[in-house]
Amino acid sequence: MTTQALELFRSVPRYLAARAIGSHVPGLVSGPLSTLRLVNRKDPEPLGEGWARVRPILSGICGSDVATLSGRSSFYFSPLVSMPFVPGHEVVGELVDEVDGMPAGTRVVLEPVLSCLARGLEPCANCASGATGRCDRVTAGHVSPGLQTGYCADTGGGWSRMFVAHRSQLHRVPEEISDRRAVLIEPLSCAVHAALRAGVEPNAEVLVIGAGTVGLLVLLALKELTRPGRITVVAKHGVQREWAEGFGATEVVSPSEAVGEVRRATRAMKLRPERGQSYLLGGVDVAIDCVGSRSSLDLALRTTRAGGRIVMAGIPVEGTDLTPLWFRELELVGAYTGGIETVGKQERHAFDIATELAGSWPLDGMVGATYPLGRWREAIDHALAAGRLGTLKVAFEPHAE
Amino acid sequence: MVRPGFVLEVDERTPPLLVHEGEGFRLQKFPLGARVIYPPDSLPGIRDVRGAIRHAIANPLDSEPLAELLKPGMKLTIAIDDISLPLPPMQAPDVRQLVLEEVIELAARRGVEDLKLTMANSLHRRMTADEIKHAVGERVFRSFYPKDLTNFDAEDPNGLAFIGTTEKGEEVEIGKRAAESDLLVYVNINLVPMDGGHKSVPIGLAGYRSIRHHHNVHTMLHSKSYMDPRPGHSAIHDSARRMGKVLRDAGIRIFTIETTLNNDVFPDPFGFMNKREWEWSVKDQASYLAAKKANDLAPPKLRHQVYLRIKSPYGVTGVNAGDTDAVHERTLARLHEQQLVEVEGQSDVLVLGIPYIGPYNVNSIMNPILVHCMGPGYLFNMYRNKPVVRPGGVLIMFHPVPWEFHQVHHPSYVDFFEEVLSETTDPMTIESKWEQQYATDPWYIHLYRTSYAYHGVHPFYMWYWGAHALDYLGDVIVVGGDPKACARMGYRAASSFRDALEMAGETVGRSPSISYLHVPPLTVADVR
Amino acid sequence: MAASSKRTRSLADEVREVARGWRWGRRPVVPRSAERVTPPAKVWSFPTDWARTEPGRVARDVILSGVMKPIVWNETSPEVFGLDNLDHLKPPVMFVSNHSSHLDATLILTTLPPKWRNKTATAAAKDYFFDVWWRSAFTALVYGGFPIERGGGERATEKARELVRDGWNLIVFPEGTRTQDGWVQRFRHGTARLAIELDMPVVPIAIVGAYAAMPKGRSWPKKGRPPIRVRYGRALVPEEGESHQAFSLRMQHAIAELFDEDRTSWWEARRRAATGETPRISGPQGPRWLRTWEGSRPVRRRGTPPVWR
Repeated sequence: MTTQALELFRSVPRYLAARAIGSHVPGLVSGPLSTLRLVNRKDPEPLGEGWARVRPILSGICGSDVATLSGRSSFYFSPLVSMPFVPGHEVVGELVDEVDGMPAGTRVVLEPVLSCLARGLEPCANCASGATGRCDRVTAGHVSPGLQTGYCADTGGGWSRMFVAHRSQLHRVPEEISDRRAVLIEPLSCAVHAALRAGVEPNAEVLVIGAGTVGLLVLLALKELTRPGRITVVAKHGVQREWAEGFGATEVVSPSEAVGEVRRATRAMKLRPERGQSYLLGGVDVAIDCVGSRSSLDLALRTTRAGGRIVMAGIPVEGTDLTPLWFRELELVGAYTGGIETVGKQERHAFDIATELAGSWPLDGMVGATYPLGRWREAIDHALAAGRLGTLKVAFEPHAE
Repeated sequence: MVRPGFVLEVDERTPPLLVHEGEGFRLQKFPLGARVIYPPDSLPGIRDVRGAIRHAIANPLDSEPLAELLKPGMKLTIAIDDISLPLPPMQAPDVRQLVLEEVIELAARRGVEDLKLTMANSLHRRMTADEIKHAVGERVFRSFYPKDLTNFDAEDPNGLAFIGTTEKGEEVEIGKRAAESDLLVYVNINLVPMDGGHKSVPIGLAGYRSIRHHHNVHTMLHSKSYMDPRPGHSAIHDSARRMGKVLRDAGIRIFTIETTLNNDVFPDPFGFMNKREWEWSVKDQASYLAAKKANDLAPPKLRHQVYLRIKSPYGVTGVNAGDTDAVHERTLARLHEQQLVEVEGQSDVLVLGIPYIGPYNVNSIMNPILVHCMGPGYLFNMYRNKPVVRPGGVLIMFHPVPWEFHQVHHPSYVDFFEEVLSETTDPMTIESKWEQQYATDPWYIHLYRTSYAYHGVHPFYMWYWGAHALDYLGDVIVVGGDPKACARMGYRAASSFRDALEMAGETVGRSPSISYLHVPPLTVADVR
Repeated sequence: MAASSKRTRSLADEVREVARGWRWGRRPVVPRSAERVTPPAKVWSFPTDWARTEPGRVARDVILSGVMKPIVWNETSPEVFGLDNLDHLKPPVMFVSNHSSHLDATLILTTLPPKWRNKTATAAAKDYFFDVWWRSAFTALVYGGFPIERGGGERATEKARELVRDGWNLIVFPEGTRTQDGWVQRFRHGTARLAIELDMPVVPIAIVGAYAAMPKGRSWPKKGRPPIRVRYGRALVPEEGESHQAFSLRMQHAIAELFDEDRTSWWEARRRAATGETPRISGPQGPRWLRTWEGSRPVRRRGTPPVWR
């Protein structure tokens, strides 16, 4: 059987061209410079015992996907993926095959990491302790290399009409959670993980940089799971500001106002270097970068107090000046994806926490636009300018016409 | 597929929208959340219009076929809607020409000899020979003009016949020839729901003595609105109906032929103006840029000439004939199909782009008083049930409001603007203090009868037409308007839309709800 | 304060306003509240009509008879049977064939009589043949190709409908893709649907030996002039009220009978067709190696013509 899928293929010239001029002419990234193509390929077969086929209902476009297409993702990832692959790791779908206690037709969300269990290997130390995101064996086993479904040639991915997943990757979705909320469970679980990695003490000052989907979900997770004193959110677009206020941010500022606002709130000293932006001696206890650009990390380094912590929830791009890291004795912490988390005294899976949050918080409207696979160029183009167009998340609806 | 009208909510994805302003237009970015009311797509026109006309007069509503009403030796008069319709003028052949040719052919074959045609212009100006020729067609013009095809003269003491009085004491007086005919045929174009029905004969062929009973401030304040002729909603139409009854009771036989047009207003190079902005193709965007630049760069006189020559490629969507009430019901239904849009609730602010042409400046100049007639007059009243804007809200219009008057067409307007408006803008005061004087001034009457001037009392009616709006609104602001002309009329002028909104803030607050009525083409908002 | 009338802006300002408002260089978007009343933008398809004009046809003629035919006839040894089935037919018809090789379209086009070939267009998968501009141009020119979307749906076959309305014959491969193992795959519904909707006669064609000569994966025929036979069958006409599933099945049977005829003789094939014993062309049930094994049996060098020439 063959079905439609969007496939990312290897083309170094296009990748480099997109990297060079993609930011100036975004239309080319969804057009001739795109390394994505719509194909009719053979459906992936279940890769053995415990694997099942899944029909995606909704599949989100993540910031990392957009970065890949516009040539901004790091070559670090090259051995961690196997081309050609079908992108899409934020998926809510329907089981086609029965697997391990879940009948065909069950609605599931995908936990995309392809860890030891999925690869048929003895659990490595990380998987054994529940931190599947830190699995060391993502290039080994009987499945082609791929850190997640959506980066692996064997499994297919969310941006298609069919992919395969291992039992360990599937979580049932309760009836009362709509498809549009369910598709946010995966990014929510990453947000939960980031919020917990941040180690926010009671009454701490927190700065959340970026109010796209990542930033807003991190804000939500912080409100739910931690007891900070104030949360300031840095938002670029009007629609993001509205959502941040709706989720209960203490203060929402634009990027240019951020340093000034943090200074006032924390009564810090502001210094102006001869070259570069102003920075603070003093500042917030924890800064969470949910953008992953050079300027966002830079902002975090400039506004965090000595001994404070910076959490990278978005994939960082180019390096930045790390002098503040050394001088202010900061902790720079990465937050990739959730596994078994410790909340207070309990040990719970990030996906379970995320599912609960998806049910109780007003997430309707976060998915601002859906597109069928046939209109992928418009979808990518929309995702590239989402904030400016008043949308937070764009998703594919592969079975729509 | 003809899509119905719909209301857009402006969001980040909406491009700037087209706004007309007199002999010009612009793209204007509207604030997020503003509503924009779009008319339905243009209905397809009837392919065989002559066939439809023939069918209508052979199978009329509530009447014998026209052929049976035509006999040798009878006195037949045909009255025709004048130059104030349609707007803009129609590309040849005008639908009136088509109707006339069928009716006259039938009359000729049935042996009618005493046949006269008259333009039903009431107190509007006389039409020139060229204008008449365009409306009736070359063949009719050659056969009847000038002896048997005339403009109606409402100030001819021997040309009017008093018919009777309505139960409310309104005097009914119409042209003598029409009153004494065995059959009066009326050829109508129903451009907006205000037209047609009993407004045709009792008003189109009447003089000041009759007209003053409904063209007054009191009637206007109780016509909410005059685009909604249902009983009880529009005092002027109630009055016209009463007068129509008087005519019928007096035995005057009227065979009405009403036609409706679709929304194909813009000829080819301006085709993009008929499309919804986000559906503009690259070609449309290029057309816009070309048209805008050409318009901006043209000297005013040349630009004026270009606009004067615009003729619309209308399609005819319906022809109905027979008894006035039965016909008008059908006509209104078809009109609503083309123009009606459902709108939920009212807004604080109404935005209107005033087009270059109105009923009273065809082949002429739109002076400030006519802007008043178009904005707070006609376009404000394009609603059913409730106005689009809330009581006490603000009207923001786009128009340059040039301090310019056509000396031949609008002589009494010049004096009205200088003498009357400089003292007061209140319609009631104006009516009581000056109307009589202008209506009976012999100089204006002379110009009306022998030149091509609107009657001396006409500017008053223009002012009254906006009386309901002036009473209802909190403020009127004109973007791009001449400050002196606007001040004279009691408006405020702003140089940009943003400034206008700020000024409006004094009345409706900092973030008002906004509705933009996207006309032309014409739309009637059915406000729930 | 307020200056009267328009401030004359420069052309650059006007252009900038339109460029920003209509997102030049990016894809158009529709305001959210207008989504349900705005028809979706048409997806751009590579234009192929130029290849079906008179000069395009002449060029195609030259390429097919001057270049493609000599090459194919040199590298393989093809034979044609059944062209008399076209005699009483009136265009437009749909030519339907099994698909096992890139040679298929060429074989059909070069074996059709000129008066048929000149008004025939080939349906080619949009995502494969129309991905880059030069492959699109090649497909359009050499095969009179037009794009057809493999996903299905009404939009996918828009162009096909248009061409048939203009009187063009179509070559369609109902399997949708070349077979991997040599056996005929399940026919996709779209072909039968289209034929029924447009009420076209369907001429079944069996191409025997092309898989052995140049299967999927090869771009040049095997050495040794492998034999290929192109068999045209009797046209099938959709019956009143026939479902597309039933018609699709009829097409498959027709092609199966042509294969049977090729294997044995026309008479035997007729007898088996009457009793429903025509061997399946979808291949044996079983493991993949068995299917490939059975499918790769060598083809007889010389075919048997039908009893009546």
